[in-house]
Amino acid sequence: MIRLFLAGLAILLSCLTASAQDADIQPILQEHQSVIAKGSRKTIGPAIHAIATSGSSKAQSVLETWAAKDMWMRKSDGMFFIGKQAEAKTYVLTDFDSGKVVGTFPKQALKQLKPNSGIRGMIGAALVQFQLMDPDKDKRQDALTSIQRDPAAAMLAPLRASIAGEEDAGLKSQKQRLERLLTIGYDQDTKARVAAIEEMSGDLGLDLRATLNPLVATTRGVALGEIPKDVNIATHLTPGSDAFTTEDAYDFLVRHALAPPRVSRGDMRAALTSNIDGGHAGGIPVVQLNTDAARSRAYAALAEAGTVPALVTQADIDAALAAYVFFDSYAETSDEVTTAARNALKSIGLKVGVNQALDLTLDALSLASIYFLAAIGLAITFGVMGVINMAHGEFIMMGAYTGYVVQQIIPNHTASIIVAIPLAFAVTFAAGVAMERLVIRWLYARPLETLLATFGISIALQQLAKNIFGTQARPLTAPGWLDGAMVMNDVVSISYIRIAIFILALIFLGVFVFIMKRTRLGLETRAVTQNPRMAASMGINPGKVNMLTFGLGSGIAGIAGVAIGLFAKVTSELGNDYIVQSFMTVVVGGVGNIWGTLAGAAMIGFLQKGIEWLNPSNTLAAQTYMIVFIIIFIQFRPRGIIALKGRAAGD
Amino acid sequence: MQRSFISRNPSVLIFLTCLALFTVTVTVMSEGSGVGIISTSFIKTLGKTLCLCLIAVAMDLIWGFTGILSLGHFAFFGLGGYMIGMWLMYERTRLIVVESLSQVEIPPTATEVTDAIGNQIFGVVGSSDFPLIWTFADSLFLQLVLVVLVPGLLALVFGWLAFRSRVTGVYLSILTQAMTLALALYLFQNDSGLRGNNGLSGLQNLPGVEASQDVVSLWFLWASALALGLGYLLAAWIVSGKFGSVIRGIRDNEARVRFLGYSVETYKLMVFTLTACIAGIAGALYYPQAGIINPAEISPIASIYLAVWVAIGGRGRLYGAVIGAASVSLLSTWFTGGQAPNIPLGFYTIKWVDWWLVLLGMSFVAVTLFAPKGMGGLVDLWSKRRTPNRHGADLGPSDGALREQEASQ
Repeated sequence: MIRLFLAGLAILLSCLTASAQDADIQPILQEHQSVIAKGSRKTIGPAIHAIATSGSSKAQSVLETWAAKDMWMRKSDGMFFIGKQAEAKTYVLTDFDSGKVVGTFPKQALKQLKPNSGIRGMIGAALVQFQLMDPDKDKRQDALTSIQRDPAAAMLAPLRASIAGEEDAGLKSQKQRLERLLTIGYDQDTKARVAAIEEMSGDLGLDLRATLNPLVATTRGVALGEIPKDVNIATHLTPGSDAFTTEDAYDFLVRHALAPPRVSRGDMRAALTSNIDGGHAGGIPVVQLNTDAARSRAYAALAEAGTVPALVTQADIDAALAAYVFFDSYAETSDEVTTAARNALKSIGLKVGVNQALDLTLDALSLASIYFLAAIGLAITFGVMGVINMAHGEFIMMGAYTGYVVQQIIPNHTASIIVAIPLAFAVTFAAGVAMERLVIRWLYARPLETLLATFGISIALQQLAKNIFGTQARPLTAPGWLDGAMVMNDVVSISYIRIAIFILALIFLGVFVFIMKRTRLGLETRAVTQNPRMAASMGINPGKVNMLTFGLGSGIAGIAGVAIGLFAKVTSELGNDYIVQSFMTVVVGGVGNIWGTLAGAAMIGFLQKGIEWLNPSNTLAAQTYMIVFIIIFIQFRPRGIIALKGRAAGD
Repeated sequence: MQRSFISRNPSVLIFLTCLALFTVTVTVMSEGSGVGIISTSFIKTLGKTLCLCLIAVAMDLIWGFTGILSLGHFAFFGLGGYMIGMWLMYERTRLIVVESLSQVEIPPTATEVTDAIGNQIFGVVGSSDFPLIWTFADSLFLQLVLVVLVPGLLALVFGWLAFRSRVTGVYLSILTQAMTLALALYLFQNDSGLRGNNGLSGLQNLPGVEASQDVVSLWFLWASALALGLGYLLAAWIVSGKFGSVIRGIRDNEARVRFLGYSVETYKLMVFTLTACIAGIAGALYYPQAGIINPAEISPIASIYLAVWVAIGGRGRLYGAVIGAASVSLLSTWFTGGQAPNIPLGFYTIKWVDWWLVLLGMSFVAVTLFAPKGMGGLVDLWSKRRTPNRHGADLGPSDGALREQEASQ
């Protein structure tokens, strides 16, 4: 590292001293006059290099002028100037060094230098070193970004030279990181590369992995007899192992034209078809050729006659495989570098794994909070009151549509959400109270009937929403400050909207606990839940308490609807997607206990994410397995994770 | 002296007579018989309705008589359909494949035929191999056995798990709903082996049968009517005997029956499994008439509709279930098929395609609230069935038991 630093410093110093002298650029141009004038990509390299390393302060402007096709040569003496069109056929020439106008010349006396795209690319690469030290910070950033996008060996030296002079701390660290990456990729010195790899190992950046992965990429090779000495072998492959079966090996030989291809069933069939002769193929009647054995016999007969290529037997395959060795080799020739890169990737892999677990945990947490939000209203109506409300999902949907309607009236997203939340509560509270008064009140003694009646309401509400809002999804847009994600590193990130939902779930939990434990309504609700008759004789009006509790549960569902609508599309089927999961959450958690609901939501959320992680391509399967798991779980804890005991359990 | 089964259950005779009359009338008026008053597609609708009546009878057995609100019987119905659909699809594809391969110069090997069938059937989900569950698809007999066996086995395992841990009431309903959802989600996957959300199609074409759909639809109508008649007889026989008394006891007070020494779990499991088998048979008759089956058919909502039919028809009486299923599903077809006339209100036109579900939902709530006996209760007006008089006391003490107030309504 110190060595590298010194090297960078030395280059920098030479640059500084050179610019202090500030030599004229014209002599250097003249030195390469013929090459520049010719403008061939093959020969131009030294000229560009000479200009770029001349140390002249004019070098950058020369290169830029050249690339912009504004450099002209005076035919009389071969001098180069900045040319600018004066009139139709005359050009004003300006000297590079003095910056003075030399005079106006007719076009015939001049030659315009038109670098082709190849040369312009080379000029551009040479210009990078100037851009990296450009006084304008944005230009330096642009230059860095372009190198990051398209790294090349040529960029390494100018980049190193520019680090020491960098004043901006952010850019400096970017430059240093890029310098390390380029060192790994392109430095001539193997030791320096290994040192850089070791220094960077454990870093989670995607750019590092993008640099290291090509180093350890392997290509499969085959050789007759012995493995060649000059390749960097990754693994020696033995045909017949699980990773490299004899079929793979033989196919590989066939692909490289080292062995005759096997005769497939299709080939055999085609060969027999083209050799049918008077109802017979290979001496066997065609009608009998309906088994593989008969076809093989016929084919063998044809092969013996020499009309078709012979069958490749297992013995042939074995002999061919025995003659060759198979190996995976690295494109990178240095063994030290590949070993270091492999080790670094291994340690990165471990770290990535840990971070992925963290990311998964965050995902699961946010899913759990969504389920909790969706289920908390249900926990009140089902858990506390014992009323099963199949229309709960439709209350969530109503909340989401309320948010959508509010957004149509109030265009400001932040304000509309602030209005929508209490409004959604009010709307669903009213709907809940109406439903309790009109329907559920009459069915308290008959829970199964409640289930069916509320289901009737559910389909009616769903169809009503479809009639009013149509079948297409309606957007409920989150305010701008909820866009984006909190990024911890290249692996772990969580969107702000999920954080907001998590916080909302926590608030709900707090509100619920507060209402239940600290308010009059909570006290009365608990009393009515435990023993309605006794509560009534104590002066509590059970009808009113039930109505308010049901309204509260429904209202919370409405707020959950606004929250869910922010990240899911608002359709009339929105509630359907959550209803079964919500019931699961309440049942798994344990009825009648908010902490049970929390535990249930956490379990279902983590379980679903966990299963999805095991089988990432298939969320349907994840849901299936989760439900099966829950059914089995109920076997062992029929009353949920946190079961009520004693009289409250109602047994 | 023991009275005969029929005399104890006069409704069975009436029902069977009505069913026979209906079948004969429809047959005479069908296109297949030449009269052609009833179109073939409507014959199919009627045949399908008979299958729905059969599963409604099963639902009534499990819900109306045993008190278990299962929201999973359409899963069994769908499974039955899938089982018969596998054979129909395999056999028909095989005939087509063999026909096309016989044009080739060299006769095909058995493997080639199987591969070609696999390609035809599973090409749509990007596969060509037969999954394990298709092992018996080439045998009609085995698939017919599976029609009963697969739903029965699933019900047996699920029921054993659920009843053993004494999950009852709404918990059981939710659990059955979860099971249905799990099954539907599983079948929606492409690698479930049953063609994912494409489902099985072309089931209306019976392999090897040359007869036109006009005639085939009649065959299915007869088969469905026969199955419904037999199913009804079986159900009536079950509920009229001692077994029926026990399961009604379980409905009204499970704990008391258990304390009397009956193995409640076994009874429940038997009814659950039996009704699942009936549902499977109903499905196996339904889907060849529908022509296509896909996982959407067994989504939880379908099972809830089944409960709705039975509730509207009147649970706890077998003819109620049949009336409910027939009337609601036919009305539903009429309304959603766009045949019902729109009602212009001046400012708004009520299109029944859009508003039928609202009407159904609301009328369902009304039935639950005001007429717990459903349409079957109308029969009581005519037969003057006496309701129990307990002077206001409930018939059974537990939640969900039949209450005197309901019984006398």
